[in-house]
Amino acid sequence: MIGHVSLKYAVRSLLRNPRRTILSIIGVGIGSGIAVFAMSWIGGAREMEIRAVAESGCGHLRIVPADWPDRRENTLRLENPTKAIAAVDALAGVRAYGVRARVNGLLAMGNRTAGVEIAGVVPELEAGASRIVQKATIEGRYLTREDTDAVVIGRTLAKRLGVEVDDSLFVTLVGRDEIQSAMLNVVGILETGSRDVDAMVCHVTLDELERVSGFPGPAEISILLDDYRRVDAGWAALAEAVPQGDAVITWKEVNPAFAASIEGDAGFGRLLIGIIVIVVALGIASAQLTVVLERRTELAILSALGMKGRQVVILLAIESFVIGLAGGVTGMLLGGAGAYYLATIGIDIEAIMGDEVAVGDIMLDPHVYGAFGWWIVWFAFGISVVATLAASLYPARMATRIEPARALRK
Amino acid sequence: MTVRENEVLLRAHGLTKVYHAGKIDAQALRGVDLEVRSGEFLAIVGPSGSGKTTLLNLVGALDTATSGQLEVLGKEISKMSRRERADLRLHALGFVFQAYNLVPVLTAQENVEFVLELQGVGLERRARAGDVLNRLGLEEFATRRPNELSGGQQQRVAVARAVASKPKLVLADEPTANLDGENAESLLAMMRALNEHDGITFVFSTHDPRVIAHARRVVTLVDGRVARDEQKECCTVNGAAKA
Repeated sequence: MIGHVSLKYAVRSLLRNPRRTILSIIGVGIGSGIAVFAMSWIGGAREMEIRAVAESGCGHLRIVPADWPDRRENTLRLENPTKAIAAVDALAGVRAYGVRARVNGLLAMGNRTAGVEIAGVVPELEAGASRIVQKATIEGRYLTREDTDAVVIGRTLAKRLGVEVDDSLFVTLVGRDEIQSAMLNVVGILETGSRDVDAMVCHVTLDELERVSGFPGPAEISILLDDYRRVDAGWAALAEAVPQGDAVITWKEVNPAFAASIEGDAGFGRLLIGIIVIVVALGIASAQLTVVLERRTELAILSALGMKGRQVVILLAIESFVIGLAGGVTGMLLGGAGAYYLATIGIDIEAIMGDEVAVGDIMLDPHVYGAFGWWIVWFAFGISVVATLAASLYPARMATRIEPARALRK
Repeated sequence: MTVRENEVLLRAHGLTKVYHAGKIDAQALRGVDLEVRSGEFLAIVGPSGSGKTTLLNLVGALDTATSGQLEVLGKEISKMSRRERADLRLHALGFVFQAYNLVPVLTAQENVEFVLELQGVGLERRARAGDVLNRLGLEEFATRRPNELSGGQQQRVAVARAVASKPKLVLADEPTANLDGENAESLLAMMRALNEHDGITFVFSTHDPRVIAHARRVVTLVDGRVARDEQKECCTVNGAAKA
């Protein structure tokens, strides 16, 4: 039985060596503070990367022809686009969506050529669904629904081809039945700040692409959700509603390499947190082991008085619990302050990556903002208390194995 | 656990204890036969290394014998689990140590209460601990911690702690070794009173003549064996006659 005298014993024991107790609390606090900060960073970076990949064209969810995940061919088209769009309109939590088709083609100007993936878009939807259109500066203008023979290309592509706004480009592309060609007028040159992205942008209207290529209708509907954490729920709802012959996939399936990279970063972060927790726990275990060795005679006396091993374990666990709680408060304050900084000021990744804040065709945000919320409280306390309690197990076990007669003889 | 008058509390037969220190074996007890009955006030004496403390540790279920039989309150110690031995110590035995060994972070009252709490005594433990301290004249020291008490006061609190749980047998290892004459005499008088009025059996390990003078039975150990077992003529068990 653990009563109020046992509790007093445990708590007052922490004051026998205040310096050690304070150092232990600071150690736990710093450890859990770093863990909170790391979690804030991991959460913020993950959210930013998912937002970036989704807004760069992937969408959080995408409706594609059922064969597309296996074949990844630009010649495939949706079974029933009207029904698919109706399903998207009926889905709750949709921020925007883009309707697109793509074909592989070759742009030529004089003796200069460039191989590109030509995207047929619905212009009025694309501005909401793609940050490439949203955030870029455009020389000339972007497409409108009424445009015919019009194309918007990226700045890098324009430089490679030596074209300017109002120049004409010769386009050769893979048509439905045979290779097709057309002359397109450059109505806009788009500049995102990333040379990689600007080398890939080649947009025409969906109607124009259909006319030139002969492939009817769109090939994908990319959907942005208000909250990326609703991907699974959104997928489940949409999968029921899309026509047979079409399929719903998530951003992870559209861009598995980037998804793996995000998971890898998060996994590394969690590993780092795990290492921090282990180091903190070893420090506490060492301090508690010293406590047990110092109190060997006293614990032998308690055993002689009839205290059982379980009660000794509980007494030492209470001491560790108090250190854990105090360490949790310290960690919450330290880590919370760091996380607040991350959440409000953020980290300027332009300063790290330079102007090219992009990975391949994915435009990253120039700042990473950390995650911040009530989770910091339970996370700081959880890490601190669990680590200190786990760390007290071995010293407590040592304490229960003290032979009273031998300890009292010394 | 009730004890009838003149009941055998402990019975040792052929008790041996060998300590192993590396390749060296040290035989502390070489076949001790001893019987202690309820109400006794018994001193185990002998020179250093004669096995007094070892015998006390075995009787107190703090250690196990190498061979022989040892029954305490009718239970064979060697057959008891670690937990059962802890229960025996908690409910039937009390200990007084040479170095007092009070818990330094607890007050006198809390030291006494601690044992009652371990026993599972409910809220009345506070009053019970207070009563014991009052009876032993320690009420004014109840809120003091051990470092605020003299050696004699600490040892009296240790006795209070030992008897608060109403044990059948109190084992006291050199309880007066660190006390001056006055404090030792006062402590022994207190323990004698507990023996006579409450029927608590006391077994001392000592070579202090002051303790021997108070004892009604003196068992002398020499080289791990009982060399002499002397019942003083003035005394009988349960104090039927006093010195």
